[in-house]
Amino acid sequence: MKIVTCASPINNAAFTMLTAKIEHNRLPTVMAREEKALAASVQAPLATEGSAIPARSKMGHGREAAWTTGLRIASILAMLLVWWALTFFFPPSLIPHPIETFSEVAAIVSTGQFFTEMGATLRRVGVGFAIAMLVSIPLGILMGTVKSLENFFEPPVILGLTMPGLVWAVMMIMFFGLNETSAYAAVAVTIFPMLTISLWQGTKSIDKDLIDMSTAFHAGPWSKVVDVILPQLVSHILAAIRYGLGLAWKVVVVVEMFGFSNGVGYQVVRGFNVFSMKQVLAWAITFLVVMIIIEFGMIGWLESRITRWRPRVEAWRR
Amino acid sequence: MAYVQVENAVKYFSREDGTDMLVLDRVSFDTKEFGITCLLGPSGCGKSTLLNAISGLERLDQGRVEVISNHGSAPSHSPRLGYVFQDPRLLHWKSVEENLTFALKGMSIPHAEWSDRLRKYLEIVGLSEFRNQFPLYLSGGMRQRVGLARGLVIEPEVLLMDEPFSKLDQLTARRLREETLRICEHLKQSTVLVTHDVEEAAYMGDRIIILCARPAGIVDILENPLPPGARDVDDLQFIAFKKRLLQSVLKLMEKDEVPS
Repeated sequence: MKIVTCASPINNAAFTMLTAKIEHNRLPTVMAREEKALAASVQAPLATEGSAIPARSKMGHGREAAWTTGLRIASILAMLLVWWALTFFFPPSLIPHPIETFSEVAAIVSTGQFFTEMGATLRRVGVGFAIAMLVSIPLGILMGTVKSLENFFEPPVILGLTMPGLVWAVMMIMFFGLNETSAYAAVAVTIFPMLTISLWQGTKSIDKDLIDMSTAFHAGPWSKVVDVILPQLVSHILAAIRYGLGLAWKVVVVVEMFGFSNGVGYQVVRGFNVFSMKQVLAWAITFLVVMIIIEFGMIGWLESRITRWRPRVEAWRR
Repeated sequence: MAYVQVENAVKYFSREDGTDMLVLDRVSFDTKEFGITCLLGPSGCGKSTLLNAISGLERLDQGRVEVISNHGSAPSHSPRLGYVFQDPRLLHWKSVEENLTFALKGMSIPHAEWSDRLRKYLEIVGLSEFRNQFPLYLSGGMRQRVGLARGLVIEPEVLLMDEPFSKLDQLTARRLREETLRICEHLKQSTVLVTHDVEEAAYMGDRIIILCARPAGIVDILENPLPPGARDVDDLQFIAFKKRLLQSVLKLMEKDEVPS
């Protein structure tokens, strides 16, 4: 395929002179490679085409990773710079100095307070999230594959999506009282509709030919779900997890503000009560750091591991 | 050894407006016990529907399809069919080897036989060194070979192939045709190959069944005068046979175009 587009840039009138020139420059190497593959195939018809795949260069990979990290660091530095600039225009009670705020962060972390509070909040998010996932994945797949279930569950799921997280939090606390259950339930109920919708829509877009293939090879229902359907939903699930985590954090902080005696939300309220912006920001920052670790560390790692079968999209390469 | 017997196959598809369209009109034929039976017909004539009916993916409205095994099969025994699709239909998130074990698992092949079979059939299609590769890192021709190996690894009683070479470039298709012919000859199983390509039918088919379009019905059944080893696309005898096939197909297409 590649060889066709390279060899006849004339056919493609839309190409500018410049790209045509680039294509021409690339032509000889591509041709040579293809020819070599062809020659090899003539000699050994059964074990061929291997030579057409060039080894991956490790160096290019490392440089690309460094570039990615560099950009991320630059983005964070830019945000700090804006913060620092703002301290010139506002009193410290409203915009505390970054350095003071970070020393507050250091204090929170060094006393160990951070770990107990963050642990409580993380547990609430984690349990609520797990409950929502356990219900959403099967329900989403069923809604995407069984028409009657789709019709039946569509209204409640759509309605659930429009309900604000704050309302769920209030309702769950009224229902279960001020305890862990209400926090778990509020998180689960808030993110459940969003998770279900993305899995349901994802299931509807899976490749039906692959289902036929698995039927032709007598795959059982479990194998169809695990080997054929779920892998096609991976990117939908990961996107839903990312978005869902964002929602879950917001709800759990609200629940904690209502009268829990620990958790990040409670600490933020305490900061508010003594009108200490420094304390509010310090807790918010620790929170953000944990988010970033989860987002880039855990989910990013998970994604690259699960989708290593997929060649990278290089749409803007010239 | 086994072969497929199709008797009075009738199939309707429902159109959007609720009316029915006759796709298969009382089709009956037997496939060869050894070697390749080609279903040759124009595009959209219901060849693939017929193949899906044989595989059980599609249910017939009338008539029956039976896979007849010679070695005293119990009535409950469901025949083992291998399917090679037009697009290879691989699971892209599984390696080449895992794509084959997916079929082995589905067909309940005892676990103890897996490694021997994987080695044997990956060797046959020439992909031994790529067994841990993911399909999207392979070329189109190699992916199609994985599809072929997956059809073969379950050691099917009948191998079904639905235009397996039509999406490949000419050179790759030609080479794969040669290899597939050699593999089928070597494994001596009943194979059904659907194609719209007259040369492919003449080259691959030991028996060629010509179907007409909408509804599909059998127009002609021809036996290939040349044994698999003697088929050479440049040979005069081969060209003569190809011509005969082509004339049959063209004649029926002309009939098709006459407004009724």
